[in-house]
Amino acid sequence: MDVSNRFHGLLALPIDPETGKDLCIICFQCERICPDRCIHIEAEGKGKERVLTRFDIEMDKCCYCGYCVEVCPTEAIVFVPHYEASTYNRDQLLYNLDDLHRAAPKEPIARGIIGGRVP
Amino acid sequence: MALRTEELMLNMGPQHPSTHGVLRLVVTLDGENVMDVQPDIGYLHSSVEKMMEHRTYVQNVALVDRGMDYLIALNNEQAYCLAVEQLAGIVTPERARYIRVIFDELNRIASHLVWLGTWAIDLGATTVFLWCFREREMILDLFEKVTGGRLHHVYYRLGGVYADLPEGWVEECGAFLDYFLTRVDEYETLLTKNPIFLARTKGVGTISRADAIAMGASGPVARASGVAYDVRKAAPYEVYDRMEFNVPVLTDGDCYARYLVRLTEMRESVRILRQALLNLPGGEIRARVPMTMKAPRGEIYVHTESPRGDLGIYLVSDGGETPYRVKIRAPSFSNLYALTEMMKGWKIADVIAILGSIDIVLSDVDR
Ligand code: SF4
Ligand code: SF4
Repeated sequence: MDVSNRFHGLLALPIDPETGKDLCIICFQCERICPDRCIHIEAEGKGKERVLTRFDIEMDKCCYCGYCVEVCPTEAIVFVPHYEASTYNRDQLLYNLDDLHRAAPKEPIARGIIGGRVP
Repeated sequence: MALRTEELMLNMGPQHPSTHGVLRLVVTLDGENVMDVQPDIGYLHSSVEKMMEHRTYVQNVALVDRGMDYLIALNNEQAYCLAVEQLAGIVTPERARYIRVIFDELNRIASHLVWLGTWAIDLGATTVFLWCFREREMILDLFEKVTGGRLHHVYYRLGGVYADLPEGWVEECGAFLDYFLTRVDEYETLLTKNPIFLARTKGVGTISRADAIAMGASGPVARASGVAYDVRKAAPYEVYDRMEFNVPVLTDGDCYARYLVRLTEMRESVRILRQALLNLPGGEIRARVPMTMKAPRGEIYVHTESPRGDLGIYLVSDGGETPYRVKIRAPSFSNLYALTEMMKGWKIADVIAILGSIDIVLSDVDR
């Protein structure tokens, strides 16, 4: 089904096509703003070497409010139009880093639509 | 030999399809006649007021739009954002205030359509339901294009709205309004002069002006009983003071009057929407409000006109990032208690007609 490009579907972490790495700069802003406290981030290393060791989103708790997408400074976390998330098992709704990478859309996603972003 | 008779107590709900949520009505019957009705609530309690004390002011926007009345998410956000903005002295840009009025009114139409459709289906008129939901779907599509959500939007932010209207949306909305007015006439052809509908609603479930005021009824329920009170006129918020519109007031106080009031309200909403779309100014849509905003110590009460009536938010702040106490004055709650007065003396078959006519949503009653 066609949905608008602002649709709050599932969440995903697209990989930067130039560097092949995560866009996330591990600032923990999304983890802090989430009203349902369903994002869990852990990182290792210092400075440029810092890498994500854990990026989990409990999709069963998520209320699709979009605050995480809004606060992210690098648009590392995005909504995808896909919305059919039902499973037979709650464990499958715990999306880890791999799941979130896999969920990322293949085509470029509409960016910069958050016109009201506080600069 | 005289037959022995006694009163019968009947539990209607909580799993009754016509209670629009989970409401239990304890009906005392004498034969077919309703002697007394006591609503029993609490089946949908989500303790949203308490939960709000544990979330920051910004996060709470996501909570009020689903924790309270789920059919009018944007009107809930409106009331909450207005309360926090007034407490913290945030000034919303002009464009955002117009956009908010547009979305409040669209949500009012969508909510009235759900009411009309479901109430008509309670009374046995299936077609109205299908037609109403057809138009509501178009409104939801309009919502989706702007907010990204269909029922729960989290679109309003403290100090503005989250994203600007996409290109062509204003024209699309205008075209919808033209189309919609013709559809309202169409609903009327099915109901307004329909003898079966008239027999079931006209003169049924009356409540006097004095009783409506005493019970704290508001919104269309009060206006159908002759109470000329609309918060948009009495205490205008956003840009309602610049809009030209009438507040329909009828004096019959029966189910039919409530139907006519809501129908006229939809038409008036279209009028407001047209003016807002026409005068929509350019510029900023959001004031600078940090995501970790703190409200100054103090308290505030703000009320707005939601599709169901007078929706108020009372907020106490101790100067921190989270509210100290929130109290929601939900219109459905007060209107539900006016129900007791309306139902006495009517037949059991009228209970559904009367219950549907006050348009309550149970998550608004329980909070
Ligand atoms: S959409 Fe909202 S609830 Fe879901 S992860 Fe993002 S911030 Fe949390
Ligand atoms: S807000 Fe964006 S950059 Fe910061 S931790 Fe979250 S996903 Fe990474």
